[in-house]
Amino acid sequence: MAGAVAALDYDAELMLRVKDGDGASFGVLLEKHRSSVVHFLYRMVQNAAVAEELAQEVFLRVYRSRATYEPTAKFTTWLFRIATHLALNALRDHKNERNQERLDDDTSEMPVRQVSDSRPTVEQNMVYEAKLEEVRRAIAALPEKQRAAVLMHKYEEMEYSQIAKVLNCSDSAVKSLLFRAYEALRARLAHMA
Amino acid sequence: MKCQKQTSDAEHLRECPECAAFVSAQRSVSAALDLWEAPPVSADFDRKLYQRIEQEVPWWDFLVRPFRPLAGPRWLPVAATAGLMVAVGLWVGRPGEAPMAPASAQVQALPADQAADALQEMQVMQEFSNLIHSDAEPRM
Repeated sequence: MAGAVAALDYDAELMLRVKDGDGASFGVLLEKHRSSVVHFLYRMVQNAAVAEELAQEVFLRVYRSRATYEPTAKFTTWLFRIATHLALNALRDHKNERNQERLDDDTSEMPVRQVSDSRPTVEQNMVYEAKLEEVRRAIAALPEKQRAAVLMHKYEEMEYSQIAKVLNCSDSAVKSLLFRAYEALRARLAHMA
Repeated sequence: MKCQKQTSDAEHLRECPECAAFVSAQRSVSAALDLWEAPPVSADFDRKLYQRIEQEVPWWDFLVRPFRPLAGPRWLPVAATAGLMVAVGLWVGRPGEAPMAPASAQVQALPADQAADALQEMQVMQEFSNLIHSDAEPRM
């Protein structure tokens, strides 16, 4: 099983080389997965500086674990399991702060500021920013596990089975999480066609 | 969706307003989520990471650190360690200073696997140092 996974997963092969002392392979893994891990964490915690700090911790843990690494799962499953664990911990640690900062749902319909300069680019930019803010709020309003599942499904294009392994739950539990998450998102974002 | 799907997806969507509305809403959500692009990763992300990794270097790395500025060739840290091992061996084997240990005891003083680990660690750290020094370019 482990051998079969390693044969299929080039990342796992690279990690085994890191285990054998090949530092350059760690660099290859970092180059390959840096953006996806940082972006996933950014969308989870919605703070760029915190996301990068957490991503550093993810890769540091990967490096620290090299000596005991065994390719029992896909490398990205392991990587995102670490990332999700850290993100959920960070969200729980800062829950009170976030609650204070989170604006009331009623304010999601923010009035678009009227400006005298009616150039289309400015207007389009304001509409875009308003839509983006609505998307951020909708994602932030999801329960943490639903949020993680949606972000992995939508932006990392992971399959149900891989998301299930990352979140340590069954495939059907992931389907249920995603169904409820998309239902909530449809209620908030479907008008943005 | 309450209705039973009996025809192809496209045909079904034409005939079932409920499912058509569901698919349309889901597409809108997907399009809305596509708007959200994450900011680019900081240019010094790797440098900071490798610095943190270097802070976790094992004790024997400090023995070869003075040789780092000269460490152009990859074999230099290995040679320095080998020299250090020879020096330690000679010091342990000095006549009159200490009782002569049997050859097997000298081998036990520095097990082969420990020495191999040390050499491997130093190679890894050397590669990291090279990466750090060549990591000045910004990246997306």
